[in-house]
Amino acid sequence: MSDARFVNERAVGSSVIPDEAIPLVEGDGRFLNDIKLPGMFHVAFLRSQHAHARLRSIDTKAARALPGVIKVLTGQELLGKVDPFRSMPNRFSGGESVQHWLAVEKVRFCGEAICAVVAEDRATAEDAVELIEVDYDPLPAVTDPRRGERDDAPLIHDTCVNNYLIKREYERGNVDDAFRNAHIVAERSFRIGRKQALCLESRGCVAGYRESTFTLTLWISHQLPYVVRHYLAKHLRMPETDVRVIVPHTGGGFGQKASIYPEEFVCAYLALQLRRPVKWVEDRIENMVASTHARDQYLEVRMAADKEGRILAISSEVWVDVGAYSTYLWSAGMEPLQTAGLMPGPYRIGAMRYRTRGVATNKTPVGPYRAVGRPSASASLELLIDEVAGKLGLDPMQMRLKNLIPHEAMPYRNANNLVHENVNYVPCLELAVAKADYAQLRAEQERAGGNGKLRGVGLVCYAELTGLGTSTAVGPGTLLQPGRDAVTLRLETSGVLTIAAALPSQGQRIMTAMRQVACDELGMKLEDITSISNDTASAPYGFGTFASRTAVFGSGATIKAARELRQRILAMAAFLLQAPVERLTISNSIVHTIDRTSSISLRDMAEKSYFSAKDIPQELNPGFEVTAFYDPKFGSFAGAAHIAVVDVDPKTGHVEILRYVAAEDVGTVINPAVVEGQIIGGIAQGIGEALLEELVYDEQGQPRTVTLADFLVPSALEIPRIELHHANTPSAALGGFKGCGEGSTTGGLASVVCAIADALRRKGGDIHEFPATPERVLRGLGVLSPQG
Amino acid sequence: MCTHPRPIAGTSPASWPRGRWRRRWRGREADLAREQRITVTVNGRSYERTVPVRLSLADFLRDHLHFTGTHVGCEHGVCGACTISLNGRTARSCLTFAVQADGAEIVTIEGLRAEDGTRHPVQQAFLENFALQCGYCTPGMLMTAIELLQDNPDPDEHEVREALSGNLCRCSGYQAIVDAVLAAARAARVAPPKPAVR
Repeated sequence: MSDARFVNERAVGSSVIPDEAIPLVEGDGRFLNDIKLPGMFHVAFLRSQHAHARLRSIDTKAARALPGVIKVLTGQELLGKVDPFRSMPNRFSGGESVQHWLAVEKVRFCGEAICAVVAEDRATAEDAVELIEVDYDPLPAVTDPRRGERDDAPLIHDTCVNNYLIKREYERGNVDDAFRNAHIVAERSFRIGRKQALCLESRGCVAGYRESTFTLTLWISHQLPYVVRHYLAKHLRMPETDVRVIVPHTGGGFGQKASIYPEEFVCAYLALQLRRPVKWVEDRIENMVASTHARDQYLEVRMAADKEGRILAISSEVWVDVGAYSTYLWSAGMEPLQTAGLMPGPYRIGAMRYRTRGVATNKTPVGPYRAVGRPSASASLELLIDEVAGKLGLDPMQMRLKNLIPHEAMPYRNANNLVHENVNYVPCLELAVAKADYAQLRAEQERAGGNGKLRGVGLVCYAELTGLGTSTAVGPGTLLQPGRDAVTLRLETSGVLTIAAALPSQGQRIMTAMRQVACDELGMKLEDITSISNDTASAPYGFGTFASRTAVFGSGATIKAARELRQRILAMAAFLLQAPVERLTISNSIVHTIDRTSSISLRDMAEKSYFSAKDIPQELNPGFEVTAFYDPKFGSFAGAAHIAVVDVDPKTGHVEILRYVAAEDVGTVINPAVVEGQIIGGIAQGIGEALLEELVYDEQGQPRTVTLADFLVPSALEIPRIELHHANTPSAALGGFKGCGEGSTTGGLASVVCAIADALRRKGGDIHEFPATPERVLRGLGVLSPQG
Repeated sequence: MCTHPRPIAGTSPASWPRGRWRRRWRGREADLAREQRITVTVNGRSYERTVPVRLSLADFLRDHLHFTGTHVGCEHGVCGACTISLNGRTARSCLTFAVQADGAEIVTIEGLRAEDGTRHPVQQAFLENFALQCGYCTPGMLMTAIELLQDNPDPDEHEVREALSGNLCRCSGYQAIVDAVLAAARAARVAPPKPAVR
């Protein structure tokens, strides 16, 4: 089924059509909600209608009496039986947050789960939810992080002073000197609203009791099967080896499905208790309040530059509205620490300072979501660069060129202590400028306006650290340090190679990529290679799919395992063919002498190895199964330059993207078409962030945007055709690969916000708050008066 | 586009029925439990079933007839993942009651392939153009794309984007999907089209 036409006869670098896509395009996907087990019960949750309240009493009598209802579970029953989620340790924690799976004593956000109803069908379960009477004692709600950190603000967690879940100050280099001696100092505020991943498939699970040899089998729409297994066992206080986690086809993840949530754990508990399969599917209205949110940041950024436009120092104050709990697993530190810490991006910045806070509020908790803190770090810095360039009379492109870390300076350690090398920042900028004909864009901008619109050009550069190994935590201060994943290669008796890795895809085609890598390493036909990726019962231990790492980890481990396997194959073939090992090679799944005078197929070899073992010396037959772990140790920097051209309508505030050019360095590319899909998909989410996506809460902490008619994500009409170009350079990781799943989201936000600000500046306006809704654009133009 | 976000009436949890309204609601329980016998043709075969009147067509297809290819993404008619063909035109199966489909002819993604198992040309174009990533929006995208090409066999890029604007995709940024539809249109011009959606 795969495309046999390889580029230069190598699978890596060819746009192989992925086998994974076939069942999906034919309607034979097996997503979570497609799973049905005999005797299955269904769960619906009663969710808090208040943002902040004491729970005085919960009356479940009528719910329990409804025909078809099996059980109603409350938080009280779970006390002492399971462990609640205590916020993951982080060196910069402000305090501890404890999240009970079902609220006990207090609810802290609208939508927090209070009861779980188990019934024979979902509709009955929902009917029963309506019959539960909760007596709330409302408390004042915290809905703004800058008010929430004040001494007089209501406390959401007794152990978190000033509602700080995370707080950190950092300084490197002589920042005060730099600002004192600067030719120019500029300061800017930046606000990005709250959003969510909006996976088209929301969350869900089926918890099975003794569905196979395992006591507990959990099918879950998730990115990290082994991590789920580990914490399930821990919190349910059962042996990890009694738990099996299976990830079915998953309709989007984007980081939202990388957190540990109460609902699936409740279902696991119920399945064990009731000894029946228990299913929960999150409907969309639930998803808007029950699954993690992202962004919702306020930044004040300052820059010191010399008269040539070289950046001397940056300083930032960051507030992130991280919601009611420190999200389990990644902690509330993700966005606050990354936004502040990664602000230097691809630029040479010798001095930096930041003070960042993750302030608890009475809203849905914030968790990791595509590119995490990088989009706001980049967007705020890029807007400031444009402002400084304007004041100095420099073209924005020239200022960036002056400040990008050039090859000659690499390896370069930036003020945030990250080392940049093997990355093409300047070539990407030059390529984007050339392909967009940047000079022509600026000339057209001068001439534009005949249609009454304001023309804007946004040019941004960013750095993206991918494939992080054990030397770096995923977020500063987090004590969770993933960085080793394993792959098992096994040559089956039929001569087919199986690659097993706990690296589920949500569309990234990880397993096709690894098959391509194995194909080249082993000289096998691509169609003779298959894969398993989603089942802890059959894949070796791995952290899973997040942080743009699977191409690096999965491929690196595949290469290591394949090299060992190849050695074993050739050693046995040398014996079977009575030929020296140096004269043997493998192509098209056949081992043969270089002069092709004798050969043996891998299929024959595998069969002999298993069924005729007595004919082969033991030392030559250790088995055709190899597991390899890979830790690249350091991350691999990817980078890019994006250019967005917009027309802003000064009468309606509408923004139209006329043109979008991206020049990316994503390292050695395994499957170009798949990579292109990832990059464009990321740009689309960044554009959504810049223009449309915003979750709004009122002063009482009530969510106002709870349907897709209120929370807008881009359609085919809002995303322009992306002109994508590459200036790739290999990383230092095995295979030269880099991750590419998230970086482009940063470019999508930053380029569009800069283009809009550029357009508004032509009429003396500006814009600091995003998404750039028509209202905010018109306010930025002075057409609407500023809000009080 | 919504510039002043406000809740859709009745969907904010704080406005769910309470007290007096709930007692009236419970009195209607007998209505809620009512069922009806329906006959629906799906992918060329007729099915007779007794269904609750409040059952959506999407849930009927997926849970009662086991055609799980049609996906549910929002249950309020916005995302388009549930799009099927109802009496020859696309429809949101999440907003249609099963009882409304009594006597109707429905085609789902499972009905797109030919009798011999060959993929529909638009499915083939999606596969060859990498027009799906997670695959969740794909069933709805295919039904909408097929309807577009039936109505307009030679669309330009803008017409394709406009036709697909009611189908959300969160993974792809739409470009590969648009390219697949344009490729399918070109391929259909080369070979004479055979009747696709019945």
